[in-house]
Amino acid sequence: MTIKNVRDHGQRYRPRMACLKKVENVVLEMQDPKTGVKSQTQRLVITTIPHAITGEDIVAWIANRFKIDATEARAMGTMMVAFGYIYPLQDHKRLMLKPDTSLYRFQTPYFWPAQQWPVEDTDYAIYLAKRNIRKKGMLELYEQEQYNNLYKWMNHKWDFIVMQAKEQYRAGKERKKPDRVVFDCQERAYWVVHRPPPGTVSAMDYGHDRMVDPNMEEKKTPDYYRRIIMFTQQCIMRPRVKSSVSIGALVKYTTTYKEHDPFLHACLPSNPWLTDDVTYWTLNMPNVEIPTKMRVERWTFSFGELLMDPRGRADFRLFLKKEFSGENLAFWEACEDLKWGAAETMKEKAQQIYKTFLARGAPRWINIDGKTMDITVKGLAHPHRYVLDAAQTHIYMLMKKDSFGRYLKSPVFKETQKKAIAPEPQRFTETQLEQNAKRRRPSLSPIILRQQEEEQKAKLAASGPVDITQLCRFTAPVPHLAVYTGICEAQSTASPGFMTLPNSAACPSPISVAIDSTPASERRFDGNGGPSSSHFPSIAEASVSEEENQPPAPKSRMALSLSRLLRRGCNAPSVFASLSPKCAVASGGGKVQPLGVEPLAQPQPRRIANFFQIKVDIPPECRIYPIDSEDEEDDSPDTARGGVKEIICPWETVTKQEGTG
Amino acid sequence: MPLCNNKVADDGTSAQPLQEGKALVDSLIKVVACYRHLASCVGGCTDNSSLRRDLQQTRERAQTLALSCRNHLTARLRDKTLAEAERKETELLWVAFSSCLELLHADMCKVFTMVKHFSLANNSAMVQTGIQGGTTEVAARALSLPDLQGAGDGSQTSSMEGQEQSQLEQEIAQVDRTLEDMELKVNVLRWSVEALGPQYADPVSTDSASLALLSIDEEAAQGFCRRSQMFAVMMLCGVAIFAMVLSVCVVFLV
Repeated sequence: MTIKNVRDHGQRYRPRMACLKKVENVVLEMQDPKTGVKSQTQRLVITTIPHAITGEDIVAWIANRFKIDATEARAMGTMMVAFGYIYPLQDHKRLMLKPDTSLYRFQTPYFWPAQQWPVEDTDYAIYLAKRNIRKKGMLELYEQEQYNNLYKWMNHKWDFIVMQAKEQYRAGKERKKPDRVVFDCQERAYWVVHRPPPGTVSAMDYGHDRMVDPNMEEKKTPDYYRRIIMFTQQCIMRPRVKSSVSIGALVKYTTTYKEHDPFLHACLPSNPWLTDDVTYWTLNMPNVEIPTKMRVERWTFSFGELLMDPRGRADFRLFLKKEFSGENLAFWEACEDLKWGAAETMKEKAQQIYKTFLARGAPRWINIDGKTMDITVKGLAHPHRYVLDAAQTHIYMLMKKDSFGRYLKSPVFKETQKKAIAPEPQRFTETQLEQNAKRRRPSLSPIILRQQEEEQKAKLAASGPVDITQLCRFTAPVPHLAVYTGICEAQSTASPGFMTLPNSAACPSPISVAIDSTPASERRFDGNGGPSSSHFPSIAEASVSEEENQPPAPKSRMALSLSRLLRRGCNAPSVFASLSPKCAVASGGGKVQPLGVEPLAQPQPRRIANFFQIKVDIPPECRIYPIDSEDEEDDSPDTARGGVKEIICPWETVTKQEGTG
Repeated sequence: MPLCNNKVADDGTSAQPLQEGKALVDSLIKVVACYRHLASCVGGCTDNSSLRRDLQQTRERAQTLALSCRNHLTARLRDKTLAEAERKETELLWVAFSSCLELLHADMCKVFTMVKHFSLANNSAMVQTGIQGGTTEVAARALSLPDLQGAGDGSQTSSMEGQEQSQLEQEIAQVDRTLEDMELKVNVLRWSVEALGPQYADPVSTDSASLALLSIDEEAAQGFCRRSQMFAVMMLCGVAIFAMVLSVCVVFLV
């Protein structure tokens, strides 16, 4: 069953087609025998057919009626022909008004482009079948193709279509010959308007349908007035800018972007919408190796442009990596991810970001001022999507004022600029254009694009070279949270006995405790007999394998540990802070502890716990758990968690004091 | 022009119920085709009360046919003892019938809006479409009547028009309901129905005359140029022949 018109609930109101009703009135005015357009008879071989009008008469009538000049009248006449109210008798495929003696005729109201009757494919199939009945092989190529398509789609009705075509043909033969000719012309004109031949512009392209008929008079109910009141109030409340300022901004924008606008300037190599050649799109893919010159030029316009373009962002990331200040961009990206990400992981993400970037002693600590930090921390007590907005803006401004300028002068950018390609404009002949049109294929499905994006993100997270001050479990890629953390490259700066990390100087003091603890941790690690060397690739492999094999594991482990902690209660008097040694993702000469090897090192943490004298009151939920957190598998009632550095999340202390735990 | 009435099966002598169903559907298709031709004249210069009457009568015929068709096909499809091949055929007929009814519904809705706009009683301006003759033959074909109906009363009052309109509205609603009922009562899976007929309809007859008229339409624009070209060529040929004759004469004389 085809979708029926009556049930449409008005979904077919075409906003730009509100002119149709007005054109209908004009056409009816033209019919007046006294004041309308002069009609003549068309002489064909055997018969004459009345009611033919010449183009010049139409133009003259319109110019007279609306008091406009000839060119405008001609444009209006062309519009009427393009909509299908008047059809040309000669050269029926070109829907334009020629202001000479070429003949036109009015279309019968049955074939008028009405707003509420969609053009049915069934009718089109019947029409094409009828034309085929009249003379075999009379269909043009595009009509032939459409006929074949319709045969495929509407195969179940095809017998009906053929029968109906025959019957309509036979019924037509009952009429007089000139009437038959006129009817054929009318039908043909109707279908030229609604199924335009390829390469022509159709006047019926109108954009989205609307729920409301713009021509209908709206009843003045209290609801209507309420809406009007709200609308005008909002208009008044809008902030206003001096026109000199706004015009200045517009002028600046247009001068900057003039050459990049595909409407105002030719697209290089060619505009795919015009020539059906997709080179432009392939050259400008989001993560293409070598960008085009125009694209690189756009990056210089503003920092926002650079960040919005994925290739630009990648370039900027590379530059920051060379400068060892990649944490700003990573933080910004993490905040974007929080803002646009799924709601269920939002709280975790916010905490993750805090621990990675904002907390004291965080591995990738970013530099924001005290006030913003205050606001952020307060907000994180009740995290929502925009809780990190203030910090993000601060970092954005920092990058914009500082790094962006340096980036534009940097060798990275200059290199990219040099390598950028400037494609030659393509010139296609008519036949080539037709071939291109035939070779049109749909682009990649959005599902595939999304998969590629995810892969890209995972790759970045797993192997992106990023500066990292300290390593711990949360800086290893957590599979279910795409926080932009990464693992440090294998910089074996530390001596084999030490598991200190690079940039440790940047870390706050608790790390010194960690340094003291390294012998113990080394001991512990040695006891495990894990894989021999943890270099960068193995880290990547391990983390990747972690990701692949045990994606739910970290989460469950955290949950397990949380529950265990809660069971033990908050009597963790000697919970100690020691960050680096417990990180299984080690750099330097440490050993990688794959997650599976935990149970072995069980007894040792307890020993280490007694080793330290630092007592820190740390709430249970907030920890950075070491990856080899055998503690969590451990069901022992031993409260000493041993050697775990806690990054204190202040908001959680607040909640704890409010009575949790 | 002779009317071919061989598709109408109102005598019930056809034994096979399948043939009967096919005949019913065929006649419905014929009536709907005629209705479309009639509807295309509404609002044009030949729109008059007889056209409206023809429309109404064709509509009624279509509805009676539709009703009997529906009953017949519904009964057959709900019959569980139907053979597989016959069921397939009946399903094909069912699909044809529902599409036909949808076309009729669409045409009726269009006529309804047009009639509101182009009211005969109020003498609204009709569009000069170039149609000259009447459509009585088409209506006669639809109603399967060998003779043409006489012209009815010439004028229509607005009250009569109002009545007709409300009647039309009711009929549209009825067809609507019929379609709904059809979908509810019988479950025919559209994707399991396959067309048996050919993709291209065979030419019924080579109607060269109207074809010629139409093609002349298109060539009229180029006609002048061609004519002038031919004229020039002929002139040249004439001049060439004349020159040859002259030279032959000269040679001959000399």
